[in-house]
Amino acid sequence: MHSLKIKHLNVEIGKKQILKDFNLEIKSGEIHVIMGPNGTGKSTLSKVIMGDTNYQITNGDILFDGKKINDLKVDERARLGIFLGMQMPLEIEGVSNADFMRSAVHAKEKEEFKLYPFIKEMNERVEKLHMDSSMIHRSINQGFSGGERKKNEILQMYLLKPSIVMLDEIDSGLDVDSLKLVGENVMEYYEKEDPAILIVTHYQRLLDYIKPTHVHIMVDGTIIKSGDASLALEIEKYGYEKEKEKYRASIGTCAVESILKHE
Amino acid sequence: MNKLVVVNDVVKEQILDDSIQLSFVPKNEEFGVNLLRIKVTESTRLEIYYENDKKSKLDIWIDVDEKVHFELIEIRNGVSSKVQYHNSLSKNSSFFSQKLYFVEGMREVSYTFLNGENAQYHSVLKTISTKKEKYDMEIIHNAKHTESNIINHGVNVKDGSIIFNVTGTIPKGMKESTLNQFNRILTFNEEECKISPILLVDEEDVIANHSAYIGKFREEELFYLMSRGIHEKDATMLLTKGFLRSKLHLEEELLEQYEKKLDTVWR
Repeated sequence: MHSLKIKHLNVEIGKKQILKDFNLEIKSGEIHVIMGPNGTGKSTLSKVIMGDTNYQITNGDILFDGKKINDLKVDERARLGIFLGMQMPLEIEGVSNADFMRSAVHAKEKEEFKLYPFIKEMNERVEKLHMDSSMIHRSINQGFSGGERKKNEILQMYLLKPSIVMLDEIDSGLDVDSLKLVGENVMEYYEKEDPAILIVTHYQRLLDYIKPTHVHIMVDGTIIKSGDASLALEIEKYGYEKEKEKYRASIGTCAVESILKHE
Repeated sequence: MNKLVVVNDVVKEQILDDSIQLSFVPKNEEFGVNLLRIKVTESTRLEIYYENDKKSKLDIWIDVDEKVHFELIEIRNGVSSKVQYHNSLSKNSSFFSQKLYFVEGMREVSYTFLNGENAQYHSVLKTISTKKEKYDMEIIHNAKHTESNIINHGVNVKDGSIIFNVTGTIPKGMKESTLNQFNRILTFNEEECKISPILLVDEEDVIANHSAYIGKFREEELFYLMSRGIHEKDATMLLTKGFLRSKLHLEEELLEQYEKKLDTVWR
């Protein structure tokens, strides 16, 4: 059983506060979905958890299995078992996917790393993700479509076997068939490896394939409402305005003006 | 496959077919430098391996005939070298040059003349610099509808320093010509590096681009690799080797051999 706990997290970039007293706990076997309007801090959250040093934590803690990881570097967090499937995976010319993934798995498994099982698993997953097998030997994401890049992220997830999986808008750039395929592969991983999953998305459509245990609405750097899968359907139907209004009413007009002025 | 092995500025081995005419002029009272003349009469590929265990100087003249596609791969190892190129391209010819350098000090001057219409010159230079290196390159578009693409990539380690001075010239009247140059130096020491990308364009109907970058990797690239658990030093090595491989069209064996050179001088 693994867990990731975020306690009273405040985060700035430059002098702008992005996350405000953010709290969340996710555990193995849970699928949390964070939804919210653009610019509300959803992607920042996943990057901060991963250890992006462009963001400054001004208060609060990130705990992995009860241990504070605020000061760990990104690679150390990754080797603990935290994975971020990125919204816009980079293209890196000259570094092949195979070399990249082999280095990553080797860094995690160290002397236990065995080349043949690695290749076998990679080839099997490439097939299951309907990826072109030549992509393995091409430069990282070079010439890949948006959908292929997202599949490549899922492939990396499978090979690294993280216990905490964060997927940042994994559905963007995917056509209907690819969305289904990615969703099914994420669910297969969930059923096999029992990870804690945190998904950031704008749309309910991904949730046709990935069944969340918790759904959170995030506005202006904090969670304003949590619920089960039905909350995502409500958002799909009514948008975020209704929840924002309720939130305004619950905390008072002046505070809301201050909170929502950045929207 | 055509192949030359040049040791201390003297041709020691040559395997050439009829597509290449080679003449070697040893230095004499008039010319204080050995001269290698290569005339390419049919489309072909040539590999030249240079090995120097003493300071060397060499002039290389390359003429590519009309309608000929010439691919040249030059692998250069050893101690300090001075070399001067004089490349000449005829009408409808193309010349693709790929250079992999690992030399203790380098001074190179090159003049490339695109003398015939539709001539195309593509050049990719890779160097791992451990001492001073300076490159002065001039590309002169002497005909209409000519194209040059120049890529210079250097990795600066130990006591290395690199200067790229690259000048592309399109005189008046040489319409529909394209001139691109992309220069980048990855530097891992405090030595001075410099890039001077110069475009001298006296014609309006052309495409001309240049770029120059000196520094390390983009933060996002390191973050991406490290976010998969790769240690910073290994991620840096992967990115550096990737940089050295990029834009090349060579066999895996050659690329791997070149990558291994980096291992020998890495911090």
